[in-house]
This record gives sequence, structure tokens and C-alpha cells, in this order.
Amino acid sequence: MAVKIYTTPSCPYCVMAKKYLDSKNVKYEEIDVSVDRDAAMEMVRKSRQRGVPVLDIDGNIVIGFDKDRIDSLI
Amino acid sequence: MFDAIIIGRGPAGLSASLYTARAKLKTLIIGKNESVLRKAGKIENYFGFSNPVSGEFLLNEGEKQAKRFGVQIIDDEVIAIEKDDFFNVITSNGRYTGKAVLLATGQPQKKIKIENLTEFEGKGVSYCSTCDGFFYNNLKVGVLGFKDFAVHEAIELETYTDNITIYTNGRELELSEKYIEEAKRFKINKKTITKLGGSEFLQRIFFDDGTSEEIDGIFVAYESASSLDFARKLGILVDGNSVVVDRNQQTNLDGLFAAGDCTGGFKQVSTAVGQGTLAGRKMIEYIRSL
Repeated sequence: MAVKIYTTPSCPYCVMAKKYLDSKNVKYEEIDVSVDRDAAMEMVRKSRQRGVPVLDIDGNIVIGFDKDRIDSLI
Repeated sequence: MFDAIIIGRGPAGLSASLYTARAKLKTLIIGKNESVLRKAGKIENYFGFSNPVSGEFLLNEGEKQAKRFGVQIIDDEVIAIEKDDFFNVITSNGRYTGKAVLLATGQPQKKIKIENLTEFEGKGVSYCSTCDGFFYNNLKVGVLGFKDFAVHEAIELETYTDNITIYTNGRELELSEKYIEEAKRFKINKKTITKLGGSEFLQRIFFDDGTSEEIDGIFVAYESASSLDFARKLGILVDGNSVVVDRNQQTNLDGLFAAGDCTGGFKQVSTAVGQGTLAGRKMIEYIRSL
């Protein structure tokens, strides 16, 4: 399973999402969009919106810390 | 430094304060005198009163009771809560530090009638400058609001852009002295907004005089900050318009509790009092465990 999480340092729900993935022993790649403009654009393109966190779980896009949706994909 | 800071002067907040203050914890209540209960003329189903009582009577007596136990009550508006080692509660006129905080702010009442506001959520409309401000680097952004809360949001957005307009949506600014000064460096637009427009993302804001402006982002900070506004910035779980708490009135953030109408459920004085009581007791346990 390939998991990417797009975050910014000031976003509290990003921290929660990462903690949740950790609690489920899911490995993920974190991308801080505040320092990576290309990744930010990639995130907007994939999710068609500008809020973080965004998770890409095997190509399935989850907007926000949506625990139920994350559970259904991991 | 306070032990317990309670935000809200309704029955939940006042009840919690009775317990924390009687446990000798330094307790502060902050809120405007605008509990929805104050408008209730006749309450007939609250235990212990054989004749109807008014909401105003209950609240006034509750405040007197709290003060008798040493609770400090400040008439002020909370515009932000920050968390580091402790909680910093920022108001229109000051800043207070506490070991534990109770949200007892009542039900969020905001209803903004602007066409497409909901449709552009996440696509130009945001409710959290802390979370989404980065996406508006050097772009033209607006803050929708007319109180200190809106100016505070505009100040937070200055990290990302200097092109900031406060849109009051037809209202006059209602600012405290400190924020009147702060607001001077922002553009202020007092026209009534009719709708937002754009293709995929927000691009334009339209006014009732037939004019419009280009815009990249709107941050909503309308009226006073509500429990939901605090929740978004602190990362507290919400369910619809309600703050999610466990059976101890504890949110998912250690030291932050919530009680009363802001947690949803059966909106009665008695349930607010009960939840406030439990929150007070659990705040005592939490503070003593630090």
C-alpha cells in the first residue's frame, strides 16, 4: 500500500491524521506543501481543493482527517 | 496563570466554575453577557422551582453564586485559543493563560446568506487561516467579518500576503479600541455581498450595488468566534456543528473540555448544568494530575 499525506506545519488535523496512521502501523510519505510548491500544486490537482491534510492512499484521495474513509482504504 | 479558564457565561460554564472554584482552583470565566438562555422569559421544567423563572434570573443568580466562591468573571470576547505548554486565551482586551479550558460557548448561531459560499468551501473559501493560509501566498484574500475576530484573522493572514481586504457584508465594524488601530492597515469593504463566482475555484466576489472584484480566497470570521472556530484551529474533532466529547466532557485535546449546547444533544438548562458539573469535576482531576 502506498500512502502519501500532504501537510503544512501549522495544521492541527494533519498531526491527528499522522498520529492515526501511526496508531494503525501504516507507513506513509509526508509532503510538507508549505515548502514544496510543486507538491502543493500536485495536491490541488489531485484533490481539486486547497485544504490540508490530503491523503493519497493507493490513488484514492481523502480530503481532511476523515477517519471512516481512511479506515475503509487501509 | 489561572488553573481553569471557562469560555461562556451560560449554565454549563457557570456550573463548572462552582466545582473548580470550590476545589480551590483559580477560575476565570470569560464571555459576553449574551447566553441564549437570557432570552427565555419563562422556564417551567428546571428542577427546584415550583413557579416559572426567567433565564435572566437563573443566569444572574448563577453568576452571584460563582462569585461567592471566588470565580472571576470578565465581560470580554474570546477571539482565539492557542496551545503550547498551557492554553493561551486571547480576547479583545487581553490574554490569559490557563492549565485547562472549558468551551461552554453555546450553540454556534452563524448563518451567512451568500450564494455559493458553501460551494466554494476548500476551493477559495476557508474557515481556518492557520490551516489553509499557505495556499494564498501573495494572492488577494478577503476576510468575511466585522468584529475583532475578523481583524485577528486578517493579522494571521499577513504571514502569507499583504493584499488583504476585510469584507463586512453590509455591517459596520464593531471593534474594540485595540483592533480599531490594527484594522487601519487593511482595506475595508462594507458592501453587501450577494454571491461568489468562479469556475473550479473562487475568482470573483459580487456586491448588491452591481459591482464585483477579483478575489483568490475568502476566510470566514463572521460575528464572534464560535466553538467550531476554536475547534478548527486546535484540531478538535467536531461532528456537524457540535464539538465531540467523551463521557467525561473531554475533547480529543488533553486539557480542553466542552459542555452545554456547543456539544450538541438535548439543549436544556438541566443538561447544560449536568455537563458543566461533570466537566468541572474532570477539570479538577486533570489540573491536579499535572
